Amino acid sequence: MPAPRSLADDLRARSDDALAALLASRPDLASPVPGDTASLAARASTRVSTQRAVDRLSTPELDVLEVLVALAGPSGTASLADVVRACSAPRTRVLPHLRRLLELALAWGPDAALRPTRSAVDVLGAHPAGLGAPLAEALGTRSPARTRDLAEDLGLEASGDPVADLEAVAAHLGDPERLQQLLGAAPAPARELLDRLTWGPPTGAVAGADRSVRVEQATSPLDWLLARGLLAPAGPGHVVLPREVALALRGGRVLQGLDDAPPALVDAPGTSAAGTSAGSAARRPELLDGAAAGQAAEAVRLVEELLDGWSTAPPPVLRAGGLGVRELKRLTDRLDVDAEQAAFWAELARAAGLVADDGEADAAWAPTPAADGWLDAATPERWAVLAQAWLRTSRVPALVGEKDARGTARTALSDDLDRTAAAPVRRAVLEALADLPPGTPATAERLEARVRWQAPRRAGALTGRLVGWTVREATWLGATWLGALASHGRVLVDASADPGALAGALEARLPAPVEQVLLQADLTAVAPGPLVRAVAVELSLLADVDSRGGATVYRFSAASVRRAMDLGRSADEALTFLRGASATPVPQALEVLVRDVARRHGRLRVGVASSYLRSDDEAALAEVLASRAAAPLRLRRLAPTVAAAQADPATVLHVLRGMGLAPAVEGADDDVVLSAPVVRRTPPRTPPRPVTGEPPPVAPGAVATVVAGLRAGDAEQVRRASAAPGTPGTPPPLSATDPALALAALREAASAGRAVWLGLADAAGRTVVRQYSPVHVDGGLVTALDAESGAVRTFSVHRISGVAPV
Amino acid sequence: MTDGPLIVQSDKTLLLEVDHPASAAARKAVAPFAELERAPEHVHTYRITPLGLWNARAAGHDAEQVVDALIEHSRYPVPHALLVDVAETMDRYGRLRLEKDGDRLVLHATDVPVLEEVLRSKKVAPLVGERLDRETVLVHPSERGNLKQVLLKLGWPAEDLAGYVDGEAHPIELAEDGWAIRPYQQQAVDGFWDGGSGVVVLPCGAGKTIVGAGAMAKAKATTLILVTNTVSARQWREELLKRTSLTEEEIGEYTGSKKEVRPVTIATYQVLTTKRKGVYPHLELLDARDWGLVVYDEVHLLPAPIFRMTADLQARRRLGLTATLVREDGREGEVFSLIGPKRFDAPWKDIEAQGWIAPADCVEVRVTLPDGERLTYATAEPEEKYRLCATSSSKTKVVEQLLRQHPGEQTLVIGQYLDQLAEIGDRLDAPVITGETSVAERQRLFQAFRTGEIHVLVVSKVANFSIDLPEAALAVQVSGSFGSRQEEAQRLGRLLRPKADGRTARFYTVVARDTVDADFAAHRQRFLAEQGYAYSIVDAGDLPHAGTAAAGA
Repeated sequence: MPAPRSLADDLRARSDDALAALLASRPDLASPVPGDTASLAARASTRVSTQRAVDRLSTPELDVLEVLVALAGPSGTASLADVVRACSAPRTRVLPHLRRLLELALAWGPDAALRPTRSAVDVLGAHPAGLGAPLAEALGTRSPARTRDLAEDLGLEASGDPVADLEAVAAHLGDPERLQQLLGAAPAPARELLDRLTWGPPTGAVAGADRSVRVEQATSPLDWLLARGLLAPAGPGHVVLPREVALALRGGRVLQGLDDAPPALVDAPGTSAAGTSAGSAARRPELLDGAAAGQAAEAVRLVEELLDGWSTAPPPVLRAGGLGVRELKRLTDRLDVDAEQAAFWAELARAAGLVADDGEADAAWAPTPAADGWLDAATPERWAVLAQAWLRTSRVPALVGEKDARGTARTALSDDLDRTAAAPVRRAVLEALADLPPGTPATAERLEARVRWQAPRRAGALTGRLVGWTVREATWLGATWLGALASHGRVLVDASADPGALAGALEARLPAPVEQVLLQADLTAVAPGPLVRAVAVELSLLADVDSRGGATVYRFSAASVRRAMDLGRSADEALTFLRGASATPVPQALEVLVRDVARRHGRLRVGVASSYLRSDDEAALAEVLASRAAAPLRLRRLAPTVAAAQADPATVLHVLRGMGLAPAVEGADDDVVLSAPVVRRTPPRTPPRPVTGEPPPVAPGAVATVVAGLRAGDAEQVRRASAAPGTPGTPPPLSATDPALALAALREAASAGRAVWLGLADAAGRTVVRQYSPVHVDGGLVTALDAESGAVRTFSVHRISGVAPV
Repeated sequence: MTDGPLIVQSDKTLLLEVDHPASAAARKAVAPFAELERAPEHVHTYRITPLGLWNARAAGHDAEQVVDALIEHSRYPVPHALLVDVAETMDRYGRLRLEKDGDRLVLHATDVPVLEEVLRSKKVAPLVGERLDRETVLVHPSERGNLKQVLLKLGWPAEDLAGYVDGEAHPIELAEDGWAIRPYQQQAVDGFWDGGSGVVVLPCGAGKTIVGAGAMAKAKATTLILVTNTVSARQWREELLKRTSLTEEEIGEYTGSKKEVRPVTIATYQVLTTKRKGVYPHLELLDARDWGLVVYDEVHLLPAPIFRMTADLQARRRLGLTATLVREDGREGEVFSLIGPKRFDAPWKDIEAQGWIAPADCVEVRVTLPDGERLTYATAEPEEKYRLCATSSSKTKVVEQLLRQHPGEQTLVIGQYLDQLAEIGDRLDAPVITGETSVAERQRLFQAFRTGEIHVLVVSKVANFSIDLPEAALAVQVSGSFGSRQEEAQRLGRLLRPKADGRTARFYTVVARDTVDADFAAHRQRFLAEQGYAYSIVDAGDLPHAGTAAAGA
């Protein structure tokens, strides 16, 4: 099989499994579905997708990629043997990482000619593996005269042609033997300077880096190096160590060693620390599981408490979104946790789909219909829902209360709490903990080191805090205890997609629910374990919760019993329930309390009426009540001389007068009110402005400026039209090109130095097709030579409508 | 997960399932550091408080023992935060120590940052002197008590190891002729003596006076005994004459009527706290002799001025006696820092189970107000309401009925309002003792009651404290002072002295239905149920009527 000529060729030659692996590892390539391998290759070579793939590489994978890029350069190749040698590690350790890069389509080609994709080179930036630009490039920034000087100083015959001179210098210095000789001759201070730059970063800040230095004048160590081309100026304030020089200094290697061992999470057994902390480190796993399960049940209870609270009093959604500080405080009090935890539970309830913005005009956070199903489920199932939601969510509740970019404190449930790194870090932490033997804890610092090693480029300033928060939240959720993962936490990591398995794992650890409570004469009821929900709900109607934990203590009071009566429970119902729910006889004191409250309940009655009708003459009232004309008033007799009406006083008066009666209106103090018609006025108002349908008039001075602008636009059009005939060739009809393909074509043209037809949307939205020679494609910008005017133009990629070869 | 009898709640309460086979062991394990809060029939509630933990520390328990006790007996995993909190709290006790350095009193820290922290407090600065070295600072001997109070408030209670003056020696022996100190009393005396100063908690009727006498016999030094009132002072005097080698001449009484200062002096709180023209004229009593021991009876009632005086008595051994450490004014911390940590504690029920105090049966009798009184009650001013319902005429009839039900029993009728008591006294033809009754007359009546000459006494709240009426087997409470828990314990205590024949004592409370009286009664009822007493409610109408009562009894 011939060697592939492009990434597309390479991909085409891969097996189906290999392609499937690629798509699994880089799911962004599959959406939308690429039409063919060419577009797959193009998409794999886009900067965004490459960046995403490179960011996921582990430390050794990234190291190998850097080595490959450093050896191959932007368009060259490197052999497997070279890469292995440069990695300073045995072939067996390098190979898996290299294979992974090939699988990910970040590199391609046969072992003898491995080639990183252009976008991978771009993504790694100017200094792969901490190496500066190659000699030819690094020294190329000098003026022709100084290039000649350098050639002469190196003992070469200067030709005067800057390009030839530069090539000669590069070839001279690029010769490893000669370079070693030169470096060997370097004075000690110059050597020290080089040593500082050897392992990167390859640039150093110096004043006057672009000064002109000749060997004879060179006095300082810096001058010594600059005059011999061992350092190159990289602008007025910086010098750079050229790649070949650095490689020579590194002894032909690129890496000091391959960092392919993940940082340890615990000290290896036998080291001194293990002996002293044995007591705390090697906890009994079953104790740990029980404690974590207890906390898991507590987590479920807290969310239930939140839902119960928000069911009756949903807190308002702030105008900017989120939950107000005062509402969070209220939740804090209700759950009896600190503010950070309260924010966490609110966010978790939302992430699990249990609460949401109700979308009303006065928007509020209220439980969703899904919350009802959740409340009815058993504790383990409910925990599984919460744990899965937590594992998935990108929300970072720990940011609540921190100032955002505008200096205002972030609120819980606001839009500003999503962090893309949150979910991957959370999973990475849990996976790291799951790697440890049961019952072994790991510190946040160690976990952070592991997470950073796993994806060094993705790790940012937030990583350490995210790891800490994950550890904290895992404890709140009951997945871990004292820093070690519980067995149900392991299931969460391994089989997060299977809620049944997750619930089952927790269920085995939870204390069995109890169905009966102990009623006591001091009017308390003690549930000596988690109470089945049906009993708990009814009991919390009749009594207030006094104390929570492994058990629940309920306290009956006149107020709590009355609450149940208000909801329609009768004394007999309440007592029957208590008899059934109690393992012991109902104490007399409790029975008396319930009966007492029931006896007094409803002795006073409250109702709604809009007006009343009263008469000292019972017969007159009876007459009205019996009349059909008074039916719409919906009168109800409350006493022989009083009736309540649902209609307002004005209507009642109207109807009664219509019946030929002479009612009078009564005030709050029994006096008869004499009413005059009410005269209404608005508050002070200004008259409305007239609506003419015409724009406001233009100020006279501005007219001239507008006209001048129009004239200038016309002139540009004329100039363009006259220049058009000189264009070589005719632009082909350009159809819209997939941006990824367009970019790939531009990159290819840039590296080959070819011109292309380019459709560009101009400022007015018209598409103008012209010939350009792309020079550079980077960061959403294309720099290209306008074939017609010879000018270099830079434009954003989104303005390109199509690309076609010339 | 064990199947223990203890459930540790996140609010730091411990629930102990009484019927669990291992409950006795668990109770023993948690008693040193947790206060029994409620002891109803099935599940007892203990509470872990900083003071309780420090009491345990003072008694020589360490955090590890506490944590182990919790983990071992707990049914469910113990919340980790609670264990951490326990360890941290206990660790705070004893970081600072009051010690003697030659003649000087110093505050010594085992942890320098703690010393730095407390010295920075504005409240500590005026109480201490020169810094002797990194860990030690001089303390003015007169500020020993104040400093302990302040340090407790700062959360760093100091361990007082500065010792005590021996005081003026005086021979005192227990005279165990025909009686013997009970084992738990001896334990209490020893616990106190080993600790130096502190509080002994014993239920009413468990013989606190004997513990006081025992402590005096250990100290063999002049003793000042502070008691709540004159009657109680007489009681102490008689008890000491009977139980110790002390003679009449050796015991002085320092009360409103007599001002004797003798090797053993019994003074009332009231005399000491009497203020004239802004000064306490009787304060010099505290320095009248070189006391070797100061005994505080009913520590939970210590008035605030006594605390202030006690702050100056830190160099003397102090013994506090009480039935409960719970103070309704919440000044438990002052008892801890000024008198000392708890040195001995025995729950009522345990002592009752050992047969030292009589079991009691509490009954609430509900009467319905007659319609006329009901209307008066309904429209009365709020401050009048309680008096109106508490003194309902219907109650008098019920009292008569109850007494008829228990003919021949030694009975106390207890009330708050003098008119009501007088009326009941008339109806029952029984003597009435109120604050106006002279001490001699009170003594005479109590004596007659004790000997069985009188069967029924009607008493006001003067009888609440420290009157020993061992044969009272029946009490009827017609009104109280707004449902105070202290009062309830005292009144019940009246009846809890062991009866010669081991009968069950009865405690009736007559309550007017649907009034504030009933609300207060609910308060009392809760307290009694929490103390583990059987409590039942009957309607006055269901009481057996006069004719059938004799047959029923």
